[in-house]
Amino acid sequence: MSSKTISEPPWWGDFEFNHDQCKEWRIDSLSLLVRHLDGEWQIAYQRFDNSADTENTIEITDSTQLPETLKNNSRYIFRKTKGLLSVLPLTADRPVIARPHTPFNLTAGEEAVLYVSTPLWIQLAVGSSPIKVLESIAINQPSDTWFGPSTLEGELCYATKTHCKLNLADISHRPHRVLTPVFVRNQADTTLAIERLNIPAPLLAIFSADDGKLWTPGVTLTREKDGDMAKLKIDKKPPKEARNCRLVSKPRSDADSTIFIRAFNTVFN
Amino acid sequence: MNELWIDFVTYLNSDNVWQIIRASILVIVGVIAAKAISASLAKIMSKSASSHGIMLIRRGSYYLILMLFVISALRELGFNFGVLLGAAGVLSLAIGFASQTSASNLISGLFLVAERPFTVGDVIQVGTTVGEVLSIDLLSVKLRTFDNLFVRLPNESLIKAEVTTLTRFPIRRFDILVGVAYKEDLKKVHEVLDAVADKNPLCLEEPKPLYIFKGFGESSLDIQFSVWAKREKFLELKNSIQEEIKYAFDEHNIEIPFPHRTLYTGSKTEAFPVEIAK
Repeated sequence: MSSKTISEPPWWGDFEFNHDQCKEWRIDSLSLLVRHLDGEWQIAYQRFDNSADTENTIEITDSTQLPETLKNNSRYIFRKTKGLLSVLPLTADRPVIARPHTPFNLTAGEEAVLYVSTPLWIQLAVGSSPIKVLESIAINQPSDTWFGPSTLEGELCYATKTHCKLNLADISHRPHRVLTPVFVRNQADTTLAIERLNIPAPLLAIFSADDGKLWTPGVTLTREKDGDMAKLKIDKKPPKEARNCRLVSKPRSDADSTIFIRAFNTVFN
Repeated sequence: MNELWIDFVTYLNSDNVWQIIRASILVIVGVIAAKAISASLAKIMSKSASSHGIMLIRRGSYYLILMLFVISALRELGFNFGVLLGAAGVLSLAIGFASQTSASNLISGLFLVAERPFTVGDVIQVGTTVGEVLSIDLLSVKLRTFDNLFVRLPNESLIKAEVTTLTRFPIRRFDILVGVAYKEDLKKVHEVLDAVADKNPLCLEEPKPLYIFKGFGESSLDIQFSVWAKREKFLELKNSIQEEIKYAFDEHNIEIPFPHRTLYTGSKTEAFPVEIAK
């Protein structure tokens, strides 16, 4: 495979392809090949075992490797195509359950801001109006998990382990993940033990900050006074931590409201 | 011959013919109306109701409308329903004895519809038969097995038998039974199994995998390792995780033993003569 680096991050945006040109995206453990032919787009990807060498890698290169050589490959046929591919980062298509490496407690009346990173998907689309989405691929396939009071009641989510850092300076830049500031408030009279947090990823937009970090709007989780209910609020604006930022992708699903009252055990666990 | 012809012409001129024509038209219109109305109702309900509900609405409305038209047709022919209903009592007793099995299936079918242990599209297991429910009819439930066979199960047997609905809940547990050699460190085995489950994205992180030491087997330490998966990915997990366990055990030199037999000839006898053939 001959390759040369075309660009540094960001790995998203619009990419021009010449006839029979193939480009490879290497993002963390994902290797993604996109080839443009007359009236055809070929997409192939494979995830390789994550090692220290590939962690946080972002590389977009010209490639001579054939898409058929990778594990998952597909072809998309069009009557006529322009060589313009739109690459977008997307949040997860199901809520993400963030489990802190060490569970922590929030005493009565306390509040805290935690920075939680969740996995990203890469969406490949062509055309302008309407946009035709070719594929949406998880950069690192997160593990499935069940979130609910029992195996009969609950919802299927993705699991992610997080350090739940409190200090912004401690967060390392990982371009294949998106950061969400989670404001947790405990208004009940008892201590809130947080083992898992439900992040409503499909309802979150993605913003890109000047430093290259990707952010979602802040999420506020409030444990109500009676202790049985929790309020979930999604900010409309980008988080203040992102300073100058621009909208990169809209939420996957539009919610009618940005405030939800949910049973306590569907937000915290 | 001539008399017959005159009788026929007289009959044609009487009201009877018009009654028969009117009754026939009513039945034909009834069939068309019942088909059209039931299809439209099913279409209207297709967004809000389940496939099972749609099937019930379709069939219920079809038979109700058709019945009304048939009753009107019979009235047109001059049937007296008071007499018919009176006769129905005696008739039903006779029919009841004659069609005991069908009646039992019919009533069982009504219970099945009311109880809803499964719906159209569910995968159920009855005895050794596993298949997808194609329809729940008045007399029987039709299944399509995974090797593409059509199975008809009488409703009566379903009411009596143990029926397992495999697609009722969104997640399922898969129990892996694995044996390791007596020499192995069980703590390490537990760690390796946990690591395999952690690495497999199809294996649910919560509910946590379950590790049970089942006991001292004849030639192995028997372990049950239970993992959870999304229902649709169950088969995929079943294949992938067992393979991964085998590879992980090989990598960590954990032996999965096959039944061992030690032959002992007693202390006083001589050893078995062993010959090595090349």
